Amino acid sequence: MNEGKRPFLTRNRRQALYGVAYILPACAVITVFCIVTIFMTVYYSLTEYNMLTPAQFVGLKNYMKIFQDKTFRAALENTVKYVIVTVPAQVCISLGLAAFLAEKMQNRTGGFARSVMFVPYIISGIAATAVWSIIFKPDGVINTLLGQFDIKGPNWLGSGNLAFLCVCIVAVWKNVGYFLVIYYAGVQGVSKEQHEAATCDGASPMQRFWYITVPSVKPITYMVITLSVIQSFQIFDVVYQLTHGGPGTSTLTLAYIIYQAAFKDWKMGYASALAVMLLAFVLLVNLIQDLFFKEKEGKR
Amino acid sequence: MKRTRQKRSPVTILGMVFVAVFVLLCALPLIYMVLMSLTQSESPYFRLRDISLDFANYKTILIRNNYTQAIVNSSIVAVLACLWTCFVSALAGYGFEKKPIPHKELVYKIMLATMMIPSQVTLVPLFLIIREMNWLNTYSALVIPMAGAFGVMMMRSFMKSVPDVLIEAAQIDGCSEFFIFFKVVLPLVKPATVSLTIFTFVSTWNSFIWPLVTTTDRTRYTLPVALSLLATNFEKNYGLIMAGATITFLVPFILYCILQKQFVAGIALGSVKE
Repeated sequence: MNEGKRPFLTRNRRQALYGVAYILPACAVITVFCIVTIFMTVYYSLTEYNMLTPAQFVGLKNYMKIFQDKTFRAALENTVKYVIVTVPAQVCISLGLAAFLAEKMQNRTGGFARSVMFVPYIISGIAATAVWSIIFKPDGVINTLLGQFDIKGPNWLGSGNLAFLCVCIVAVWKNVGYFLVIYYAGVQGVSKEQHEAATCDGASPMQRFWYITVPSVKPITYMVITLSVIQSFQIFDVVYQLTHGGPGTSTLTLAYIIYQAAFKDWKMGYASALAVMLLAFVLLVNLIQDLFFKEKEGKR
Repeated sequence: MKRTRQKRSPVTILGMVFVAVFVLLCALPLIYMVLMSLTQSESPYFRLRDISLDFANYKTILIRNNYTQAIVNSSIVAVLACLWTCFVSALAGYGFEKKPIPHKELVYKIMLATMMIPSQVTLVPLFLIIREMNWLNTYSALVIPMAGAFGVMMMRSFMKSVPDVLIEAAQIDGCSEFFIFFKVVLPLVKPATVSLTIFTFVSTWNSFIWPLVTTTDRTRYTLPVALSLLATNFEKNYGLIMAGATITFLVPFILYCILQKQFVAGIALGSVKE
């Protein structure tokens, strides 16, 4: 390599080469498993493929089918509903708790409370759902408690809207602790002087929360919403274990019908088309969220 | 005590009630799970006298239902995934932060963008690739794809704290690249490695859909898959299911109890530093 008078490998080039070597494994893994797979998804969405016979190119047939598919429509509606219910719930509960804990309970009790609230996040979704599905049984804990007050509890997992609510409850229960940790770090960064000044001016705790804390943690809120939306689109464990999408189609989600189409019906092409729809949907929501936040930023 | 009580406004009391209720909501289902696993109850509720400490359900589950194998599988997969993810991420984090790679910011941005993609979008082709490589029912299938952009991001943000002077000094002293990375850089980013290890361990241990589709062989099941099957097959045997759930829950929980600070610090850092 060093034939010429100036070596081909200058110090900088050598460093760059080392650098490429360093990032190569990560780039290879991510390229193969995250980027190439997206293009494959798009390709397979244009085919019919059951893994027994070779994939057959069928053009946009899968997409035509999707738009007539009632299951897809139900899953899409449920996914939207699910995002609309769980994302605000998670954001509000975790921000409220974080603000309160940071202001009034920065002591051992508060620390203990935070530790306990984080525990549901580390339990496997399947284990959590196994517990909750027993709690939600018609003769389960909730209905037994209601029975003590002579209220006849409903069949929680038996009717559509209630089953949907149950899925939301389990998901929110599991995730709040995670967002609480993120918010807690952010809320502590809000300046104490601002709060003290506001208190001197006679602002109530609620006013201080609304006019000081909430605007200060806006970048964190943006991130929490993004994470929460992505998570909500991916909900699978809870639906799979708690309701299997039922009763009827009332708790089907996009993630779940992709799994069903691919690994129950072995329609890889159709499942890929559904996956493309999910991707398009995530990108769309992201775009809306960006616009919404930027617009608000401009107004302030 | 009296002094503070007088100061408390209704809002504060309301807030404390809310915190207390939420703590109970988080803890009670898990306590219920553990207690239920110690009973032979035929119904979803139990009396305190039903609880016995003979661990009968645990014995049944470990002997009869392939659970011991599942524990071994889950442990191997989680440990390998941690090693693999930390190795790949630390290398890439160092490369991105400290090396003059052309167009690195562009490559980095594309890499980060992949975090936005829901895993189900790539599930089908990923499965087809793994099948093509004959990796179905192997540990490789569960370990190799676990490395992702998140770890790289976390490691890179930590690499910022490694002083360039130190690396240059080592280079002037004639240290090899290999030596600099393993003996100079890695020890300095140990906290990040710990956080990333915890994060990877928990997410691999709990991951469900991927092991579900890539393992068909019962002896290769991980704990969540085994538990899911158990809950479907023994629907009425509540104690047994709860024993399975408790076992699945126990390892991350113990880890959390020991390394609580690193758990929380990792999440706060991984997110706020973006």
